[in-house]
Amino acid sequence: MPAAAEINEPLIREYITRAVSDVFKTMLGRVPAFVGTTPQPNGSAAPVTPNHSQQLYVVGTVGFIGEVNGLIYLYLEEPFARLCTCQLLGMTEPELEEAGDEVINDAIGELTNMTVGGFKNGLCDAGYPCKLTIPSILRGSNFSIEPISSATRHTFNFESGGHKLVADILLKAGD
Amino acid sequence: MRYKILTVDDSKTVRIIVRKAFKTYDCDILEAGNGVEGLAVAAKDTPDLILLDITMPVMDGVEMLTKIKADPALKGIPVIMLTAEGGRDNVLKIAKIGVRDYLVKPFKEEALIEKAGRVIDLKPLSEQPAKAKSIYDSADILVVEDKPVIIQQIQEGLKHTPWKIHGVSTQGEALDFCTKTPPDLMLMSLSLPEEGAFTLFRLMRTNVKTKYTPIFALVVKTETGQQQQAQTVGFSAIITKPIDISELESKMCKAMNLDTSQRYFSHEAGFLIMKLPENCSPSVVAEVSNYLKPKVSEAVDAGHARMVIDIHELKTLHMGVIKLLFQTMQTCRELTLQFALVGNAQIITECKGFEDTRNWVFYGSVDEAKANLGKAAPAAPQLATA
Repeated sequence: MPAAAEINEPLIREYITRAVSDVFKTMLGRVPAFVGTTPQPNGSAAPVTPNHSQQLYVVGTVGFIGEVNGLIYLYLEEPFARLCTCQLLGMTEPELEEAGDEVINDAIGELTNMTVGGFKNGLCDAGYPCKLTIPSILRGSNFSIEPISSATRHTFNFESGGHKLVADILLKAGD
Repeated sequence: MRYKILTVDDSKTVRIIVRKAFKTYDCDILEAGNGVEGLAVAAKDTPDLILLDITMPVMDGVEMLTKIKADPALKGIPVIMLTAEGGRDNVLKIAKIGVRDYLVKPFKEEALIEKAGRVIDLKPLSEQPAKAKSIYDSADILVVEDKPVIIQQIQEGLKHTPWKIHGVSTQGEALDFCTKTPPDLMLMSLSLPEEGAFTLFRLMRTNVKTKYTPIFALVVKTETGQQQQAQTVGFSAIITKPIDISELESKMCKAMNLDTSQRYFSHEAGFLIMKLPENCSPSVVAEVSNYLKPKVSEAVDAGHARMVIDIHELKTLHMGVIKLLFQTMQTCRELTLQFALVGNAQIITECKGFEDTRNWVFYGSVDEAKANLGKAAPAAPQLATA
């Protein structure tokens, strides 16, 4: 089985940038700009919000298992998550308010699923066949995710219309 | 027939997007959140198409697809995969089980409609089913012709209509145009290079948005081989060059199913007016003849008891027109409607020359006819004779 280390940073950056761009452009008509990576010293779990902001986040998670295993977290600030949901489903803010958080969770889960799908399809075509897991959603503020020690972490920051979007990628080292 | 499309996806978001994508088409959307539910709905409702995700809880899409293909009652239902699983090997593996098409998420609604439209005969829902479009409504007409002079001739000839005549010279431009604005009718020159019109015609017929758009072939009169080929592939009409604009307009109205009755029939202060145009071609005669009975009945129903038949613009009298006038008078008599004729000097003279029409009496203007009909007793239907 190939080691995750063989999948290098430029390759990961290429796949995730393309996947985020494809999903947001196709489904929402937005073109997020890549604004840089967040350095992760020795794979430590630095929080995504540097100032431990109280901003509420909606975080979608989808994993991929196979020749390469990993997880991708897609962080959206709650107002951006609401905006994306409205655009994706053709709803107004009052309609979304009435529909409740479940709808936002499902929409962000699906956007994450598509994004991780695009990323992992790149891996499949590069010779690392793997399959997607079912999306899950995390909500909250001022939290951090600590990867297991054998995982490598790559954090990519995007910006779209003044909204931040973060793709946090955890890859498990090869067995 | 209203088609049934089953979307099987654990994401409610995707199911909502699918429902939204098909809402302007004549079909019902059924939903299921996993393979088990999907099989149950498929067995109960026998959908015409299944849109199937792969990664789902309880039973995934691959297992559901395998079970569908193993079930004699379900295996004929076409399946389009709609999934984020898009690696080459995965796609090939699933394709081998038997799917009609594969659409990788993210997807545009148009792409989904286009793929579904290749499998089932999707028809757009009419926005205003109760009201037929009339000749006074605007329409987008696309002329695909590599000779600008022909486009100009059509634009000039139809400038009295409210239609927008758009001209393009290549297949590519036509496809771009149709993507942005599906036209109400297309005219394609068969002289486009490399049988371009036939290729374009096929593309239009496989696109759900232009599947039912009337498409006319423009061809030189002597090119009989091309005309036969156009008829065989299913062009809606053949228009020969040099183009007879009035014939073209008439055929276009018919193909777009436009209500042209207002061109010939109107109501004026208790009178039904039927007016024939200057050039009464056979297609015009046929058109008026079709509207005649319903229009006269409608007038009687609305309380009108008098009708003016105005042919003063007519340039020549021919047998088609005479038959139409006899038919009109007969209809009036059947419905107890008084009528009077309005004609010009030439028509009146020509009428004197025929045995059957020599006794017809004409008034010089609609007002005069109306005034004379006003004097007559309402209950006395009569042929206006002098």
